[in-house]
Amino acid sequence: MPDFEPSVVAFLCNWCSYAGADLAGTSRLKYPPNVRSIRVMCSGRVDPVFVLDALKEGIDGILVAGCHPGDCHYQSGNYKTNRKIKLIKKLLDELGIESDRVRFEYISASEGQKFADTVTEFVFRLKELGPNPLKEECQ
Amino acid sequence: MTYYELPIKEDVPSTVNGLLREWLVHGKIEAVIAMQETPSGKSAFPAMVSDPDKLNTNVFAPILPVSIGTMVSKMTRVRGSTSPIAVVLRSCELRSLVELVKLKQADLNNVFIIGVDCPGTFLINTFSSYPGKGNPTEAVLNDEAEGYLRSACLNCKDPVVESADMVIGIFGADLKKNLILDVKTDNGNSLIKGMDLKVLKDDGKRKKAVDDIRKVKDGNREIFLKEKEEIKGADKLLEFFETCVNCHNCMKACPVCYCKECLFDSSVFDLEANKYMAKAKAKGAFKAPTDSLLFHITKFNHMILSCVECGLCEQACPSNIPLMDIITGIAENAQKEFGYTPGTDPEAPLPMVVYREEEFQDVGE
Repeated sequence: MPDFEPSVVAFLCNWCSYAGADLAGTSRLKYPPNVRSIRVMCSGRVDPVFVLDALKEGIDGILVAGCHPGDCHYQSGNYKTNRKIKLIKKLLDELGIESDRVRFEYISASEGQKFADTVTEFVFRLKELGPNPLKEECQ
Repeated sequence: MTYYELPIKEDVPSTVNGLLREWLVHGKIEAVIAMQETPSGKSAFPAMVSDPDKLNTNVFAPILPVSIGTMVSKMTRVRGSTSPIAVVLRSCELRSLVELVKLKQADLNNVFIIGVDCPGTFLINTFSSYPGKGNPTEAVLNDEAEGYLRSACLNCKDPVVESADMVIGIFGADLKKNLILDVKTDNGNSLIKGMDLKVLKDDGKRKKAVDDIRKVKDGNREIFLKEKEEIKGADKLLEFFETCVNCHNCMKACPVCYCKECLFDSSVFDLEANKYMAKAKAKGAFKAPTDSLLFHITKFNHMILSCVECGLCEQACPSNIPLMDIITGIAENAQKEFGYTPGTDPEAPLPMVVYREEEFQDVGE
């Protein structure tokens, strides 16, 4: 499917990853325009139901990004997110839905380049996976 | 750990009833929470009994309408008991109760935990109109009811209680003569103090019987996991849940589904008409009630690591969706991933409330 453009929702933590995305913009780094950013105060704020709801509505990929280990503004939000995402991915694997559609990354405020690279890579992977099978389902 | 002989008087259930009665009469406990036969005798439900004359328990009744774990949580969640209570429950019920304690939704202060060996249970209606010969309790005690057991019971993870104050044992006992009281703790000892019970020499018979029954269940489970249809991928999942009517009974029956107010019972997913219109236009059509699949996956996400595989979700489903077909494998694999076995060790923290700094490095990069 050559002209398939995946839709990506990115949940970015206020303190690191959102600033990282901002830096990517102000540095004029190029990355695919498929991503829609949602700022959250902490990656720990991302309830698994946000991710699952997005998947159900047919979003092709969900990126959750938070501070590097040890850097969380709220001490441990990112560690807990790591576990939560691990569980979601395991569940999706077990249910036969591609767990690669969900991704968790540590992106700091100074890593504009990493943000751009992550999105580029992620969109590339989603193009390989093709459209989310739940998009067209009548549910 | 000492085994005592509990001689059988009339029949097995009444012998246990007599034991509980004795504790009540002698003031060792002030109330019992156990399976009590309903007045018609056609069913059994958990009950809290304080009057010895109203005690009509049948702890071996092969029926699990609700988990006693859930009931204990309901009765102790606000504040624990200040006077002694004995709770008589099966292995899966106790495991769910342990999870509820960890979730801070039950308080075991002053609670004596009495486990019973469980040969399995029937569906609620199979019990009340038992099609086999004789009465269902006898059938299950004599091991004649295999065909009527719920699938969750056939594939039971562990039918024998380990971490209790005392276990009332039938495995390895000669049910014409006596039951085995496996007293495990000082609390358990305090209950039988002053009772004229004979110590049973441990001849390894009980251990062998327990090992055997565990082997049978593990074998059943293995075959079940191998032979069941694989429910994987969007199409299969939607087909599996297509008869779901969004009643949320599975969530209400589940002893470890922990939210006190479910997101899916709230109005979060009630949208204005135009939003539904937009959804219809985007997808062409959508099924109502909406979000069955989202509900089920979110429920898995909440309870799967604490799942004790009691099968109450499946029993509660009005559409007869065989939920255990999907849960049995997933629960085991997910729990393995986090190195967590629910309901066994009260000290082991719930996986979602702790973290280690260097773990699951494959997730975040």
